Amino acid sequence: MDIGTLRRDGRTDPFFDGAADDRLVIRRCADCDRWHAPDATGCPECGGDRLEWAAADGRAELVTWAVLHGRPGPDGTAPEPALLALVELAEGPWLQARLDGVAPAGLRAGLPLRAAFGHPEEGELHLLFRPAG
Amino acid sequence: MTDGAAIAGLGMTELGKVYGRSPRRLAADAVRLAAADAGLALSDLDGLLVSHGLGGSPGIELAGALGLRDLRLLSQMNAFGATAGAMVAHAATAVLSGQATAVACVFADAPLRPRQPSGAAYDRGAREYHGYGGMTAALGFRSVNAFYALAARRHMERYGTTSEQFGAVAVATRRWAAMNPLAQLRDPITLDDHQNSRWVAEPLHLLDCCLVSNGAIAVVVTGADRARDLARPPVHLWGWGQGHPGHRQERGSEFGLTTGATISGPIAMKMAGITPGDVDVCQLYDCYTYTVLVSLEDYGFCAKGEGGAFAASGALGPGGALSTNTGGGQLSGYYMWGMTPLSEAVIQARGEAGERQVPARDVVLVSGNGGILDHHSTLILSPHPRT
Ligand SMILES: [Zn+2]
Repeated sequence: MDIGTLRRDGRTDPFFDGAADDRLVIRRCADCDRWHAPDATGCPECGGDRLEWAAADGRAELVTWAVLHGRPGPDGTAPEPALLALVELAEGPWLQARLDGVAPAGLRAGLPLRAAFGHPEEGELHLLFRPAG
Repeated sequence: MTDGAAIAGLGMTELGKVYGRSPRRLAADAVRLAAADAGLALSDLDGLLVSHGLGGSPGIELAGALGLRDLRLLSQMNAFGATAGAMVAHAATAVLSGQATAVACVFADAPLRPRQPSGAAYDRGAREYHGYGGMTAALGFRSVNAFYALAARRHMERYGTTSEQFGAVAVATRRWAAMNPLAQLRDPITLDDHQNSRWVAEPLHLLDCCLVSNGAIAVVVTGADRARDLARPPVHLWGWGQGHPGHRQERGSEFGLTTGATISGPIAMKMAGITPGDVDVCQLYDCYTYTVLVSLEDYGFCAKGEGGAFAASGALGPGGALSTNTGGGQLSGYYMWGMTPLSEAVIQARGEAGERQVPARDVVLVSGNGGILDHHSTLILSPHPRT
């Protein structure tokens, strides 16, 4: 399924800087050290709003997944389905990403994964996870 | 003051592919129908609660459109799919505390347009996306279908729930719909039909997903004593509750495994003085077949993780142990958010469901579910006053 073109928004640019450097950069609470997704705006754990950008290790495991199918067109053909996943980073937060390099039949909760990035021809990179090892 | 609250009137416009009427116009029609059903004049209403909707809410301007004057209660409410239950509970509380005496609660929506596939009504597509949130949307995390598929898959992984068990819900619900003249989809389906329907978002087939409908539904809540003197059999409100679990997206989350019914169910049942075993009929919010399974578990009709086996046993359909979604629900009937289960509950409690009327209707449970299992409401209804 086509992704479209990604642009920066001025608020989450460090994530895309990290991606260009092949590092997974997310948020970490300066007050309680809890890790959060890059679009977090405050820490639900301690109520703090001092979220720093920090590089996560990139290891994760699969929580759940879905294969999103596009609507068939008038000619009956449909776009390539998209393999979506919720993954749990080693640091604790869940992220939403595409899975790559694995077929749906090979998936199970707990599958070890590693962060990677998709490189479209135009625009910013996007987040992928691939089976680890 | 009054000894209880009751639903005294029900108003339903045409539902489904109803074009050319705005949500406000539809809402006004439903409120007029509900008041007339109760045997009330519009001028007898002194409260109006208006639900948020996706296709644009009627807004509290609806009061002006209806010419309602000197209202004592007027608000727009939004708890997504839990709104109908929340509105009725708010109306009942207002009636019980003497703030108002006759409160209309209305939902209206018109997301369908002529010559547009129904799925497109709730799809917000774009070609260019911005920032991290834009990235996840671009990857496909903007589709409600995708989020419910993620939730359903988690339940399957944890408890061994199967697509065929989801299918049992779809088949049972369609059997009820076949007996409801108001239902949009009434042709019988088999488990094979379910399994062969196209994928929307695996593990969800097309026949796991609800309809999209235009239309409006309203109810009128009054004191129980007053309802007894009105035109229709009162449907008494025995209990209500809300639950908003606030699942965080992080380690330890119960996303996909539980709903807010774990909170709202016990509150509503305690208020009503009942246990799950006392419930005769369930009207559960069925945006997806999976939502029914997980709600049944959270209300305690079966053990956690056994919702699939419970549905596959035939419990939910006509003649089953727990008649559920007897009007065809949102899967086969009509999709009016929480007003779908509520309207069918009123019809059954009144004993006016015709061919699909269940024999035992002393206690009717109604659920509302909103967000991705983030918001839940419960109502317990009965044709009898709470003793
Ligand atoms: Zn913190």
